[in-house]
Amino acid sequence: MRLKTTILAFLLLITSGPVLWAQQQRFPMPEFESGYQYPDAKLPGSGSLAMEYFDVGILVLLLAVTSWLAIKKRSRKWILLLMTGALLYFGFWRQGCICPIGAVQNVALGFSDPTYAVSWFIIALFLLPLLFSLAFGRVFCGTACPLGAIQDIVVVRPVRVPVWVRKSLGMFPFVYLALAVLFATTGTDFIICRYDPFIGIFRMGAEFHLIVIGIGFLLVGMFVARPYCRFFCPYGALLKTTSIFSKNHLSITPSQCIDCKLCKDSCPFDAIDHPTDPKVIGKMKDKTKHFLLYAALIPLLIVVGGWAMSSAHIFLARANPDVYLAHLLVRDPSVMEDLDNLDVQTFLGSDRTVDELVNDATAIQATFRSGAWFTGAFIGLVAGLFLVSQFVIRRRDDYQPNRGDCFSCGRCFKYCPVQK
Amino acid sequence: MERKKTKNRREFIRSSMRFGMVLALGGVGGLAFRNAAAGKSVWQIDPFKCTWCGRCATHCVLNPSAVKCVHAYEMCGYCDLCGGYLKVGHSDRSTAAENQLCPTAAINRKFIEEPYYEYVINEDLCIGCGKCAEGCTAFGNGSMFLQIKHDICVDCNECSIARVCPSDAIKRINGPDPYLMKGDFSEPA
Amino acid sequence: MDIKDKIRTAKSTAVVAGAFCILISLLLLLNYVQMQGSDPLESTVMETLVQRLAFEPNNEQLKQEIRELDLLARRAYFTSIWQIRAGGYLLLFASVILVVSLRIYHSLLSKINKPEEEDEDQLAARILSVKWISGGTGILVFVALFAAFTISDPLEIYFARVPDDPEEPGSIRQITISDAPPRTDPVTEDQTAAAPDTGHEQMQEETASTPSPEPAAPSGPAGSATPAASSAFPDENTIRRNHNAFRGPWGQGVIYHESVPAKWDGSSGDNIIWKVPVPLHAYSSPVIWDDRLFMTGADEKVRKVFCFDRHTGNLLWEASANSIPGSPSAPPRTTDDTGLGAPTLTTNGLAVFAIFGTGDIIALDMDGNRLWAMNLGVPDNHYGHSSSLLTHNEKLFIQYDDQNSGRILCLDVRSGETIWDITRDSRVSWASPLMAPVNGQWQLIAKGNPIVAGYNIDDGTELWSVEAMGGEVGPSPAFGGGLVFAANEYSKMVAIDPATGSTLWEDNYYLPEVSSPVYSGGLLFIATTYALVACFDAKTGEMLWEYDTDDIFYSSPVIAGGKVYATDTKGTTYIFEVGREPVLVAKNPLGEEVHTTPAFADGRIYIRGERNLYCIGQ
Repeated sequence: MRLKTTILAFLLLITSGPVLWAQQQRFPMPEFESGYQYPDAKLPGSGSLAMEYFDVGILVLLLAVTSWLAIKKRSRKWILLLMTGALLYFGFWRQGCICPIGAVQNVALGFSDPTYAVSWFIIALFLLPLLFSLAFGRVFCGTACPLGAIQDIVVVRPVRVPVWVRKSLGMFPFVYLALAVLFATTGTDFIICRYDPFIGIFRMGAEFHLIVIGIGFLLVGMFVARPYCRFFCPYGALLKTTSIFSKNHLSITPSQCIDCKLCKDSCPFDAIDHPTDPKVIGKMKDKTKHFLLYAALIPLLIVVGGWAMSSAHIFLARANPDVYLAHLLVRDPSVMEDLDNLDVQTFLGSDRTVDELVNDATAIQATFRSGAWFTGAFIGLVAGLFLVSQFVIRRRDDYQPNRGDCFSCGRCFKYCPVQK
Repeated sequence: MERKKTKNRREFIRSSMRFGMVLALGGVGGLAFRNAAAGKSVWQIDPFKCTWCGRCATHCVLNPSAVKCVHAYEMCGYCDLCGGYLKVGHSDRSTAAENQLCPTAAINRKFIEEPYYEYVINEDLCIGCGKCAEGCTAFGNGSMFLQIKHDICVDCNECSIARVCPSDAIKRINGPDPYLMKGDFSEPA
Repeated sequence: MDIKDKIRTAKSTAVVAGAFCILISLLLLLNYVQMQGSDPLESTVMETLVQRLAFEPNNEQLKQEIRELDLLARRAYFTSIWQIRAGGYLLLFASVILVVSLRIYHSLLSKINKPEEEDEDQLAARILSVKWISGGTGILVFVALFAAFTISDPLEIYFARVPDDPEEPGSIRQITISDAPPRTDPVTEDQTAAAPDTGHEQMQEETASTPSPEPAAPSGPAGSATPAASSAFPDENTIRRNHNAFRGPWGQGVIYHESVPAKWDGSSGDNIIWKVPVPLHAYSSPVIWDDRLFMTGADEKVRKVFCFDRHTGNLLWEASANSIPGSPSAPPRTTDDTGLGAPTLTTNGLAVFAIFGTGDIIALDMDGNRLWAMNLGVPDNHYGHSSSLLTHNEKLFIQYDDQNSGRILCLDVRSGETIWDITRDSRVSWASPLMAPVNGQWQLIAKGNPIVAGYNIDDGTELWSVEAMGGEVGPSPAFGGGLVFAANEYSKMVAIDPATGSTLWEDNYYLPEVSSPVYSGGLLFIATTYALVACFDAKTGEMLWEYDTDDIFYSSPVIAGGKVYATDTKGTTYIFEVGREPVLVAKNPLGEEVHTTPAFADGRIYIRGERNLYCIGQ
């Protein structure tokens, strides 16, 4: 292919070319008397498409096998093995990019920017873990996710995190998700990828602060198990939501719970729901009023969230390089004389005028204004639902994994004395 | 009896929610697939937009950068006085360190015949700083320019150089030949 | 190996691996701090050394020092990369061992204990959760509102502000006449109407008798300037007596004074009448009108025109080219060897015209008052604009080739209004135009890339054009014997008959890079950047002689008093006889670097060095 184009270009050159060529080059290529032939500059192609098919295949296989291992086979050993394999393959070998977590942003940008064509492979990466989550729980987190795996491996001595910390910090992934979608749809930034703490470890190199953050997460992760998954991961927010309504799910006991309490503290992620205290159920009955009150608060929270975020749209929009540059130039025109400011100097050297830049920036700010409304409204809704859920109580007589929080890691299996 | 009822109700809510979510995911997926690209797209530098700011050398997630200088031999003037090879204000047109523009001496200068020289980029040494591309474009034909090498690039979801590129020269491109070569002196329309 | 041994082994492995991790991390951190502190590839020491080398190009010791430092820097860079990579793998390896041993250690220690009985209070936990969730949401709302009210939108006011601000981009090419003294009597209608006619007649006469402006003694009656003549455009004899443009009258490089100094020494002060410091650096050359000498200076901040009393060296006035509408707030980038003040100014005895690398052009009266000023649009030129100005009667010619187009403008000297403005088939060039009589008509002859062409001075029509140039066109053309000569490094030297537009001969043995060729008496002289002066037969192109000099030439050779004056960058002026044999008459050092072309007056030579302006004469 490449040879063909070269030949074609060469033919063009000798048939119609020389005069045109001489006019176009400042220093035309000399006619060498020594018969010199310039080397053929062959450039390496990007990895073939087959690799992408292979990745999707591997992901499907991993998810399917994990589901079987978690629900039917009940083998922690095999899950651990698969997880290590996935960490080595998706993490260290494929260098962690692109992953389903980041794919959220590509899909979001694909919806807002019609010229941005998302590869089918990225869409598949985005959808597959969610579909499996609806069917079998968060099996993706259990093995396939390299970010989860690297944290899971370093869990050494997990401590219990109090409920209120889990509940309040558990809201953050939703906030992160909402912001990530806002920044992606406005074409500003892919913040999930930018602040991915482990990618630098997979690639053996990144910006210094990211490496430090990554190592920090791993050190904390020795005691607070999987901190990124539980309190940050925006894709985890989606997986959690779908997993709550999953068709099948891993269970601690293979048959009937005998309420022996042996598994009670076995989960490093505090994802085991205990039997409900009958006294509490009685007291919660008195809290119906609260439930209604907080449920009625939800619309208010949505409006307040939307309004607050939307009024902060200038602040948010400054993350966009065009808006940032426009603000810089308008606020302080003397930066134009700062020869060391590369961005400003490059802009001045381009054929874009300040007027055009300000127009573009104003348009971006406008999309931020409306986009931030949805972001805020979504955050308000999530906060409302989190509050309301505190007043919903379900009668539970045995120890069960929390479907939203359980990563299907299978650690609890060995604690259950019940045989099939 | 009552317990069973509750359980049934719970199961019903759960399956209807699940059904709704499957529909939602299907909708999102279907809509996304409608505009999906079949091929693979990769990051590449448009050499006609590039301003050789030097950030390619410092902002790539890899060290040294996946951006390298590429030399289009068919565009080269084979000058003795090469703006891409020699420092401005060089004392002599020689390969001596004080005359070389490249900070890592990644350009090999080879005599062909009077007064022409061949310039070959040693990719192992190139750090993608773009000094030579700048010099070559300013004083010569612009046959040296920066490209992202796809045997090195890890194809980040968002290129960290693109994020800081002042001239917005890095974009995703499709196609089996993922390079934007300056094959001709003029910019393609 | 019992369980206790296993625990002990796991523990000690973990301790060793942990210590190793910490050690590697510290080393990597050290490496990072070092690299942050000084990037070996961007070392300032290196930069200073290279800058020093530019001043001392033959300092071998300095070169050696640079080479050693360069090697050291590159070693440091690649070693550091290697260290980071190796350290990273070691750290990874050690952490894997640490984690595995820690996990084994803890799993050996832990048993499935009987769980503690007391449970946390589920109700209290729920209430606390509600508090914290509400608190968190409140904080989010507060942060958003705080950001909303502390950060205002600066863009809102932008468009409201723009119309009041004339310096905002978008309003380039405005012509304004400054509030400085309005144009006075020098230019009145009747005289300007008459002036071109007389000039035209005279020229026709002259070209009938001598086809080329060979050195001729200034004729008596016309030579003595009358007060009346000072208010009209100068005639040709007056121009011959002055040095009003780059390379003398009409930019031809030929001086018409008979008496020219031939011997001087700048360092000993021999035959140096005065020497004054150059007030502001630039690469432009001085020009002379009567008793005054003009020159420009420029840097990133200011662009100035200076007027000296040429007899005493006293600075009479200076004028800044500032507050010009459309002038860029940040000057375009130029290289150090060109700068913003490379074009030489010109004068017609009534006004002085100067152009700068910013595209600013300014007209001043002879006392330094601004007549008009404007910006022609910032030139897109990677070295910096350097084509000099020429003026003829009411016309001011500007060769303005840049990366976007080849362009020549003709402005009205009185108002700056455009008389004609043509785009030509040329890319960026740095040559200056010259004026020459062809078939009894003055033509503007301008080199470009790739054309050499002649233009009708009245309407800018391209009369002839020859595609002959290439590379970076720096030297200006030469004219003499009815022929136009153009030469350029990396291209060729051609002789063109401007009457027919045909090429008589071409050659590419020796070519000038910066310095312009000059014609006299059937001979063509060039001075090159390989440190030699060469002489060719102008009719055939045959090389007659070459003379090796001590240094290279940026300054253009000039013919004066039947001799060739060529000044190299060291400041040494070589004086040769105009002849078919190399006869070096004198070699006069100035003791200072020179990149400009000297200006001549009767019995005087004015040379602008890098730091000082010299007046040479008895």
